[in-house]
Order: sequence, then structure tokens, then C-alpha cells
Amino acid sequence: MTFMKGNFQKFATVCAVALMTGMAQAADKPLEGVTLNLASMNDQFSAVLAQIAPKFKEATGAELKVDIMDYGSLLTKTTADFVGHTAGYDLITMDIVWAGQFAANGYTVDLNELMKRDAKDLDSADIYPKLMEALGNYKGKQVAYPFAGYANVLAYRKDLFDAAGLKAPETMEDLVAAAYKLTDPAKKQYGFVANGQKGPAVAQDWMQYNAEMGGAILDKDGKPALNSEANIKSLTVYRDLFKKAAPPGAADYDWGGREESFRQGIAATMQTWSVGAPGYYDPKTSKVVGKVAIALAPRGKGLPKIYGIGGWGMAINADAKDKQKEAAWTFIKWVTSPAIQKEMNLAGAGSYIRKSTVADKDLNAKYPFLPVLNEVFENGDGDYRPRIPEYPEIQDILGTAVNSVLVGTAEPKAALDAAQEAAAKLF
Amino acid sequence: MTNIAMNLSSTDQARAPSGLSSIPFATRRKFFLVAMALPAVAYVIALGVFPLVKGIWYSLYEYNLLKPARTHFVGIDNYVNLLKDADFRGAIANTVIFTVFSVAIELVFGFIIALALWRDDRFNRVCLTLILIPVTITPLVVGLIFKGLLLADYGMVGYYLAQWGLTDPRGLFATPSTALATLIFIDIWEWTPLVALILLAGLKALPGDLLEAAAVDGATAWRTFRSITLPLMLPAVMLALTLRTIDAFRVFDSVFVTTGGGPGNSTNTLMVYAVKEGLSFFNIGKASAIANIALLGVAIIAACFILMIRHFDKRANGR
Repeated sequence: MTFMKGNFQKFATVCAVALMTGMAQAADKPLEGVTLNLASMNDQFSAVLAQIAPKFKEATGAELKVDIMDYGSLLTKTTADFVGHTAGYDLITMDIVWAGQFAANGYTVDLNELMKRDAKDLDSADIYPKLMEALGNYKGKQVAYPFAGYANVLAYRKDLFDAAGLKAPETMEDLVAAAYKLTDPAKKQYGFVANGQKGPAVAQDWMQYNAEMGGAILDKDGKPALNSEANIKSLTVYRDLFKKAAPPGAADYDWGGREESFRQGIAATMQTWSVGAPGYYDPKTSKVVGKVAIALAPRGKGLPKIYGIGGWGMAINADAKDKQKEAAWTFIKWVTSPAIQKEMNLAGAGSYIRKSTVADKDLNAKYPFLPVLNEVFENGDGDYRPRIPEYPEIQDILGTAVNSVLVGTAEPKAALDAAQEAAAKLF
Repeated sequence: MTNIAMNLSSTDQARAPSGLSSIPFATRRKFFLVAMALPAVAYVIALGVFPLVKGIWYSLYEYNLLKPARTHFVGIDNYVNLLKDADFRGAIANTVIFTVFSVAIELVFGFIIALALWRDDRFNRVCLTLILIPVTITPLVVGLIFKGLLLADYGMVGYYLAQWGLTDPRGLFATPSTALATLIFIDIWEWTPLVALILLAGLKALPGDLLEAAAVDGATAWRTFRSITLPLMLPAVMLALTLRTIDAFRVFDSVFVTTGGGPGNSTNTLMVYAVKEGLSFFNIGKASAIANIALLGVAIIAACFILMIRHFDKRANGR
């Protein structure tokens, strides 16, 4: 009996200790046992996300599984998940242009309530207001939280500009003139490069140049105005640049081809997302190390100084269980915190949302172009690609129309007239 | 099931007065066979018939997964709109051109290769193995390989083709007049060996005595080919034609990864169009209509070939 009693006491003590440790651990790591599934775009930040996932587990106890996909697969898989209400993913990286569709269909959690509740943890005054708006807010609904802001910038070959006695182009007119001046096919040297490939590639690049030349995709009432005078004019300029100042294969370039041509040193100017810029400084992949400068993208003469912004928000699947939603929100707070943002960008994520990160000394020492990003984010325009539910179709229509013009099967006016007719049917 | 099987094995069925055994043996046998076929039938219904019917049903609706509120019955409007749609008519034309040219050329080259490898020796066997390599590569990967090779600015082949003035400086895939031809070339490169293999099997099965008799009678090689080999080979030729035509008609992977249907719409095929509508825009109604029309096309082609095979078979067997 005594033996039994003694043993029982020991057993009870062990249990009590175990229970207390467990409780202490539970208080320490409130999300122990939770697994979050994140559907991530395959971009520079995705590898970094996977890399920092163990840190999140250390901090909160929750496991983060990062499923990295290309753009098309991400859209298809997540849409299937939303439409079928299967809640396969708790967290989704949301492209800036999906906001309208997400809001219209209520695919993701409206974060306004949570943001109000946890305002003091978020330090959201440090996030660029333009990014807060563009990367997830649609008509008052916060369908995603800003996570990776990209700035449209002009990358140009400083050595070639200096040799030709040219200054960094400030207006579109300067840029076009410089592009022609720096083109010499005999030396395999071209003044300009942009996406020409049918589909999203050419549509997105042209929309950028179009906005800079004073064109717009929608009219004041939010209806498509693809064949406006300004758009026809800008498409004509774009086509002529492709004909006379771009590498011959550019009509078939997507983002990869375009960046490669710049890194290989055959193009003197290129507008691009800031996320690609770290690549020009890497001697392993770039032949233009030390010859590149990053500047603000030019605007047409007399047009207001606003710059293209893009990037990704982090959204929570509306079908996820409450516990998962809460854990996902914890992750968003964690990953957008100043400390983690700095760490991610030091690891090469190229994704900025905070003023403090862009101003950070260590990051500025590594990436000298950050002041340009600051200027872009302060004066950003996330709507030159309209973030409306009909965006994917409009992008497709433009992707075919602009490409037809570049390869010479249609004239700018005829192509945009036909595109306008097709786009009008969507509304 | 167990009951029926047990009853079947019993020998004194005639005397048994009640239960299943009162049913005549022939009926029971039929019943048993139907029962055995049921799983296969269920499988076909679940994976073949059900999606087909559902697809026809969807095609009669305006049905977009992203715009659920707009879903409503539209009858044959999706089909009518498609016929009015210049992109769709272009896609049919591209699909037909692609199919006719790739299959015809594959057949000619396949026949030549099969004749060259007819004699059964070690060299030919090695050759046959080697030429089958393209068939084993996924079409999607083949597309990516060719895209890389043919890039005009830094592709290993495309660069020189453009440099020597053999192609437009934009490259083969970015020029409307050459993009479809290039895709046809890729299809020929990949699938000619398969055609050759089918035809070689046909050649090996030819009755040797006929050919010997012809040789004894002093027939020229051409005459033998025209009057004996070709007519006897027609069933094999038809088989190769059927397989390749159906396959070419549904071409998707190589187009999707190389041109995405471009430049402009010059390589847009039916399947590329259907996938774009269905999986990019989630426009299930329209995508189903496109897929149904493509299916109808394949069905017509297949029916024609099967009728022809039967016809040639009858003629070859003298019936």
C-alpha cells in the first residue's frame, strides 16, 4: 500500500509538472499544433518566405507550409479552392489586380475589423498609404494586407548614356529620343526593351507605358475606353519603339526574356519592377554590373508625377475555420512587422511596404536604389491596370490586340477598336 | 452475386424448385455477365458519360465561376456566339491546318522510315530504338526545349537562323507567318517515329509469299510497293492516321508553352482557346461549348476513319 501510495504521489507530481510545463508552453506558443497552408506566387519573396517559416514556428508554434506556384497555377488553384469552398489554403498571396474580383465574390476575409482590433500591434502608419490602398483595399473592403510592394522604375545603362552625352530621361519624350539614339543593330545594341509576348506580358507593359503617355484603360465612369485618342497614340509610339529600337525578338519576350536581354547588355533602357533590380548587381547572372542606374520612370511632358506600383497582398481564405483564420492573421502581423520585413529584404525578397524598411541603413548600403522606391511609393498609382472584377478579360483582350500590332498584323486604331468592342461586352 | 455464382456452379439446377434456379440458365448467364460488366460500366459512366452530359448541360448556360450571380439558362446562345466569333473561327482554321499538315507529313516520313527499317537486322533495331526517343518526351517539355532553341536573340538555333537571314529577325515563334508552321514542325519531329513504328508493325505482318511471288514475276520495287505493299498496308495506315489525327486535333501543350496562341491569334487552336476560357476566366459555359464542338470534330474524324478501315479491311480480305 505504502509502495502504491508513494508511486501514486510520484506519478501525480510528474503529471502536475508536465501539465504546468505544457501550460507554460501553451502560453508561450499559443498556436502550437496549428498548420497554415500558404499559396504563394513564385517570386523573389517566395523562397524567403519558405526560409523564414521555421522562425514563425519558433515564435508562435504554428507550422507554415509554403506552396510556391507560377502565376497561372496560383490563380487556377486558389480560384478552385474559393469556388469549391474547400479551404485548402489558409493564406493566399494576392496580385494587386485581383482585388476587385476577391471583393466582389467575398473570397477572402475583410480585414478591417481585425485591423481595428489589433491597431496597436500593426504600426500601420509606417506602411505607405498608397500601398495599403492598392495592395488589398477595394471600395472600402480590405481583402488583403499589403505584403510585397513593387515600384515601377526605369533601369538604364549609365555607361551608354554618359558615352552619348545623354542625361537620365525625365520625360517620355526624352526616353523615346534616347532609345532611338542608343540603338545600333550592327553592334547588337538596342535603346529599349519591353514585353511583347501575347497575353499578360505585353498587356501589362503597354498599360504602364500607356499611363505614362497620358492614356487610360477606363473612362471617368469606370467603363472601358480602350480606343481613346491617347491610347491609339501611345500604342503607335510603343509599336515604333519595338520596330526600330528594341531587340528583334522582343515581340516574343515576357518578363524573363526582357530581364535577360537587359542583364545580357543588349538593351540600354528598360522599365521594370523594382523586385528585379537586385539581379543587375549580381555578377553571376548579369553582364552589366556597375553600369546600371535605377531612376524614376519618366512621364509625358506636363503630366502629373505619379508612378506605377504593383505587388502582392496577403489574404486570408474566407472559408478557413476560425482558429485557422486567427492563426493566419497572426502570421500576417508577424510577417509585415518591421523586424521581419527588414530580415526578408536583407535576404533578397525585394518586397517593401514600410517607410522604415525603405529608409533602413543596412538595406540602403546593400541596395542603393531604395530612395527611388520611396519616391514611387509616396506618389504611387496602383490603378493604371484597373483593379476591377473584369480585369483578367480586359488584360487578355489587350494582350492579343497589342501583340497583333507589334507583329504587324493590325494597325493600332483597328486593333484597339476591336478590343474596345470586345471589352464593352463584359460590362 | 455470390448467389448467382453458386447457382451457376450447381449441376442440379433443373430440379431445384425455387429461388434463382427457377430462372432459365441462359437468363441467369446473361445476368451474371451483366453483373460482371457493371463495375466497368459504372466507371465509364462516372468518368466518361457523366462529365460529357454535364459538359453539354453547362454549355447551355451562361455560367462563370467568378460571376455566380449571372448564371442563367441561355439555350444554344453559347454556340451561336461562338460561330459569330472571329477568334473561334480562326481557332478552327488553325486546328484543321495544323492537323492536316502535321499528320500528312508524318505519314509520308513515317512510311519512308518504316520501309528503310523493314529488314530485321541489328543496325535497324538500334536505329528504331534511337528514333523513338522524341516520342518518350512529354509534349510540354518538347515545347519548352524548342522555345529555348529558337529564341531569336539568344537561342542556340534561332540566333543563327536570324543572323543568316533565314528567318525574320523576330524569330520563328514571333512571326505570324511562321509560328504555326514551326509548331507543325515540332509535332512532326515528335510524332513521326510513332507513325513509323505502327507502319513497321504493319510491314512486318505482310505475307512474305506474295512479295516473293512478285519478285519471281519480275515486278519492279515501285510496282511491288504500289500493287502489293500499299493496298495491304492500308489498315495499318488508317490506324496510324486515326490515332495521330485525333491527337493532333486536340493539340495543346506545345502551343501553350511556346506561343500561347500568338502572335496575335495566329496559332490559337481549339483546345488553347477552351483552356483559356475555362481555366483563366472560369467561363465554364463558353469553355464547355468550345470543348463540345472540338469533341464533335474528333468524333466525326474518328467515325470516318473507322468506316474507311472497315471498307479497306473488307476489300483486303476479298469480302
